[in-house]
Amino acid sequence: MTYIENIFVCIAAPLLVATISMGKKYYSIFMFCIAGMGTCLLSAYINSFFAGVYNADLINATTQIAPVVEEIMKLLPLLFYLLVLEPKPGEIKNAMIIVAAGFATFENICCLTQSGAEQLSFLLIRGFGTGAMHIVCGAIAGYGLMYVWQRSWLKVPGTFGLLCASITYHAVYNLLIAHGSTSRYIAYGLPILTLAAGMTAHRMMKALPHYERGDSSLRSE
Amino acid sequence: MTVELIDNFLQFLFTMAAGIWTGILFYRNGKQAYLLLTCFYATFSLGMFHWTLNILLFSYTPQVFYVSELAWIASFMFLLTLGYTLSTPDERKFQHPAVWLVPIICLPQMILYIIHGDILFNLIICGLTMVQGWYSVRGFFYAGMQSGRQRNMQYFHTAVLCIILLEYCLWTLSCFWISETLTNPYFWVDFLLTAALFALLPAMRKAVEA
Repeated sequence: MTYIENIFVCIAAPLLVATISMGKKYYSIFMFCIAGMGTCLLSAYINSFFAGVYNADLINATTQIAPVVEEIMKLLPLLFYLLVLEPKPGEIKNAMIIVAAGFATFENICCLTQSGAEQLSFLLIRGFGTGAMHIVCGAIAGYGLMYVWQRSWLKVPGTFGLLCASITYHAVYNLLIAHGSTSRYIAYGLPILTLAAGMTAHRMMKALPHYERGDSSLRSE
Repeated sequence: MTVELIDNFLQFLFTMAAGIWTGILFYRNGKQAYLLLTCFYATFSLGMFHWTLNILLFSYTPQVFYVSELAWIASFMFLLTLGYTLSTPDERKFQHPAVWLVPIICLPQMILYIIHGDILFNLIICGLTMVQGWYSVRGFFYAGMQSGRQRNMQYFHTAVLCIILLEYCLWTLSCFWISETLTNPYFWVDFLLTAALFALLPAMRKAVEA
């Protein structure tokens, strides 16, 4: 049995002390990191609960329950941030990515404690694969929310749409992992490729003159 | 390879290709309508990819929860947002008795789906498609009354109505599953749906030019 709440306390404690020591400027970074780890902890409990309710086996739980629970949980701290603190668009993206990184870090730590740390090559592949997958899901939601929360009429459908997109992406990754053999290696490479494609597309978009224009009316054009 | 797999894989390929094409159009001119259509195609194809992958790798449909349905709900949400974005304030005030055909046709179908399947998903997806259908019928008649290039909006509304009609045919046929061969009309309707989904892009291009 793994006492993940004890692991969480052990990791969150120094971060919390560091937050107090570093000053107000760095509050948000540490808090989002801790929030990401906290959501990972809660997701583990909720996943187990739903797996029990639906009597799901390991494959069904990882491919159908975990992506939904984890992505919803990851979005909750950000929704709180958006609704209560009303941040600038650039801050939304960073917050979501830090939450995702905190989530991935805690998940990796739990994986290490469960399966050991003997095989460096496997841990490297898993670390980059799963870590990058959570970052990609965070980036889908973060970059998307940065855009949709500037338009009041797009907030609800946009947020829901982005959440569904990140859930499905996560589910595709878990599906490939659960199948094993060659699919597993495709899965590990998929987030890195998506990140590279996303970054290239972002750079290309930034170079365009109409990128920051944000035209909302089609008819007027 | 089964017919279902070929059908799903084709739909995934076509919607992904349309999504890439729309993404390029958005990259070129930055129009918001193209971004929303890209989101529609992207979420639809992602859902289709998950579904196809599930059948390909495990040879059965999901046992606990259909993740792909979330992606399809998202795609219809983006389509609804696109329909709203393309409408003018005058169009939103316009009323036509033909719009009542949408709930008259769709509500009994929705009851059938609820009897045969999941309540929440069917309520959401039928609700979304009904609102979209309402907008499109209204927009179709409104565009018919316009002159010149404004009439081109009819192409967009026709394409959307075709997609909705085919989706309803597909869902109804899935309630009465016959076989996993080409004798099942489900697959023929799904092939038509793939064509209609792809045709939405040129139809919207016409509308955006209007």
